[in-house]
Amino acid sequence: MLEARLEQASLLKKVVDAIKDLVQDCNFDCNDSGIALQAMDNSHVALVSMLLKAEAFAPYRCDRNIALGMNLTSLTKVLRAAQNEDILTLKAEDAPDVLNILFESSENDRISEYDLKLMDIDQEHLGIPETDYAATISLPSAEFRRICTDLAAMSESVSIEASKEGIKFSANGDIGNGSVTLRSQSNVEEGSDAGIKIELSEHVALTFSLKYLVNFCKAAALSNRVKICLSNEVPLLVEYDLGSNNSHLRFYLAPKVS
Amino acid sequence: MARTRSTKNDSAETKGEASSKSSAPKYPLGAKREKPPTIFILPKKATQDARIVNLPNPRNAKPSRYLVCPTTGIYEFTKISAPKSMPRSWLIESNGVEDASDTSKTNNSHGQVASSADLYVATTIDPLFFVLPALVHTDSSPKAEEKRRLFMTIYDHLDKLETEESHMSEILRWEGTRSLLESRMAAVCDTTDGGSDTMFRLNEKKLFAVILSKARNMCQGGLAPSMEEKFVTKALEAPVQVSSQRSSDSKQAKSSTEKGLGSGESTPQTESADSLSTTATSQSDLSADSQASTAATSVEDDGDGVSAVKVSDDIVDLQRLRTAFSFISSRYLTSSLATQLSSSLADQTTSGIDFAPLDAYYTELAKLRAEAAASRAIGDYTKKRGLDAEEEEARAEKKRKLEEEKKKKASESRATKELKKVNTAGMMKLSAFFKKK
Repeated sequence: MLEARLEQASLLKKVVDAIKDLVQDCNFDCNDSGIALQAMDNSHVALVSMLLKAEAFAPYRCDRNIALGMNLTSLTKVLRAAQNEDILTLKAEDAPDVLNILFESSENDRISEYDLKLMDIDQEHLGIPETDYAATISLPSAEFRRICTDLAAMSESVSIEASKEGIKFSANGDIGNGSVTLRSQSNVEEGSDAGIKIELSEHVALTFSLKYLVNFCKAAALSNRVKICLSNEVPLLVEYDLGSNNSHLRFYLAPKVS
Repeated sequence: MARTRSTKNDSAETKGEASSKSSAPKYPLGAKREKPPTIFILPKKATQDARIVNLPNPRNAKPSRYLVCPTTGIYEFTKISAPKSMPRSWLIESNGVEDASDTSKTNNSHGQVASSADLYVATTIDPLFFVLPALVHTDSSPKAEEKRRLFMTIYDHLDKLETEESHMSEILRWEGTRSLLESRMAAVCDTTDGGSDTMFRLNEKKLFAVILSKARNMCQGGLAPSMEEKFVTKALEAPVQVSSQRSSDSKQAKSSTEKGLGSGESTPQTESADSLSTTATSQSDLSADSQASTAATSVEDDGDGVSAVKVSDDIVDLQRLRTAFSFISSRYLTSSLATQLSSSLADQTTSGIDFAPLDAYYTELAKLRAEAAASRAIGDYTKKRGLDAEEEEARAEKKRKLEEEKKKKASESRATKELKKVNTAGMMKLSAFFKKK
C-alpha cells in the first residue's frame, strides 16, 4: 500500500514536465525511503534520475516496494487537471493495476480523483557510482538555460572548458562561433539564489550535445540553482534540488568524442 | 508499445505476476520450468511396453518420433497447434489420475502451465511405410538391377536404413514388432523361405495394389471435411460468376441453346445470341461440346446458382481417389517412389482405373474458368483479385501495426522528435559508463 501526500501538486507537475520529452515510459519505484525514478532516453546517451525523499511528502507511507509503470504523456494529461496549489495524494495497492491520484483544493473544497492505468515496463537499472568531479559549478538555473539556448542557435554542440580563469561555454557553427565565460564570484552568500560558484581540482574540457542540454533546462522551473559537475571522460551531471530534503532531479549526458 | 495492465479478472500471466507479489497467494505457481510439459493423447490399447523412439521418417528419412508398442503396432504423432492469431496455453493439474489417498495430500498440488498449446495425437501408422524406403531401389544402374532381383532377409533390407539416431535395430529385437514388420513386408513382397528366415523381394505390383486399396479405403464415406473441401469441392467447382449470371438469364440462355441445337439458321436465335452476354454464348458452345464429353452433359437446366456445372458422382469419386492417393504418397512415401506410383496410377493398364472422364472434365473446367476470368475482367474493376484469408490477415496485421506506429508518433512531443534527430554518433551509451545493476 502506497500513500503519499504532496503539499503542492506543482512539484510533481514540474518534474514530469521536465522529463517527459526525454523519457516516454518509465517506472516510479516506491519504497519506504521515497519515490525514485531512473530512465534513459531513446538513444541511451542521457539518463534521468529523480529521487523524492519520503520527507518531501506529509504523510508518506509505503509498506512494500512498488513499481509504478507509467506513460508520462498520460500522466501529464492527468496532472493537467491539478492546480499548482492543490494538495496531491498518490495511492496504490501493493500489486496495483492503477495509480489513484487525488487533487484537493483547499480554497474551495474541491476534490478531484483520477485513476491512471499502469503498465509493465522492462527497464534496466544502472548503478551510478558516487563520483568526485574535477569541476563543480553552481549557478542560477535561469543563467544556465540562457547560455544553452543562446548557444544552441549557433551550433549543435557546446564545448565546456573549466579552468582557473573560469568556465567557458563555446559553440562553433556554420554561421560563426560564440562563447560565454563565467567567472567564479568569491562574495556569493551561502543560500543566495544569485552568483556563480566554481570548485575546480583539475582542468576539464568536454563537448556535449546542446539539444540535450536545452532539454535538461526544462527543469529550471523546479529550482533557482543548478549544479553542473564535470570530469574528463565521464558523463556530465546536471542536478536540480527539489526542496530542502535531499530530493533531487539529476540528468546525466554522455560527452561527445570527436 | 507496452500494454496497460488491465483490471482484476485477467489472464493467467497477470495473475501469476500479481500473486507472486502479494503476501499470501491462493494458488502458488511454481517457477517457470526449463522444459515445459508436452501434452499427448496416446491410444488406450498401447501397452506399458510402448516406447517413443526415433525412426527415419518414411517420406524424407529424417529421424522423427514415433510411438512403438510391441503388441499393437506403431503410431505416428500428429501435432495440433493453436493458430498464431489466437494465443493459447495449457493449464495442467497433475493430481487428476492419482488415487484418493494421494489426492488428499496433494490438495494444494502444483498446477502447471505449458505456454505452447500444442497437442500431440498418436494414431496408427502402417509399419509398411517404414520398411518401404529400404525395399525400393532408386538406383537404376545394371548392378542395382541385379541386386533388386535378390531375395534378402528383413535385417539385410533394414540395414540400409541404419543411422545413428534411429532406434530401428532395437525395435527389431522386439519379437512382436519384428513379426509385425515382416507380415507387412510380405504384403508387398514376393517371399521365399531361406532356411530359418523368410526372404523378401519387392513386388511393385503388390505395392501398388496395397497403396491403391489404402486410397480406396480413405475415400470410403468421403475424405476428411477439410481435405474434401479443398481438394475435391474447390478443385471441381466451376466458376461462380458464370453461374450467377446464368441463373439470372437462364431461361433466355436455355431457350437460345435449344434453338441453337435445333436450327442454327433461324433469325431469332442469332438475335438472342447477340443480345446475350459472352457467358451465355459460351454455354451454347459448351452444350454442343457436351455431347462428346459425358462430364458436362448436365450443364444446363441446372440454374441453382451455386455451381455452373454439375459434377457427376463418378468424377467426384475419381477426384477423391486421386486426392487420397497423392496424399498418401506425398506423406508416407519417398518422392521417387511417389512419382513412380503416380505414373502407374495414371496408366490405365496397370491401375485398372480410367481417369479419362476426370481429365476431360478438367479441360472443360479450365476453359470455363478462363472465360469467367475474361468476363470478370471486363465487367468488374472493383475486385482485381481474390484475397485469401491468410493474405487478408497479414494485411490487417500490417495495417494495425502501422496505425499503432502512427499513433505513437502523433503522441510524441516536438521536443522528443527533435531529440531523435540529434546526431549521437560521437556519444557513447551510458551503459558504457555505468554498470548494470
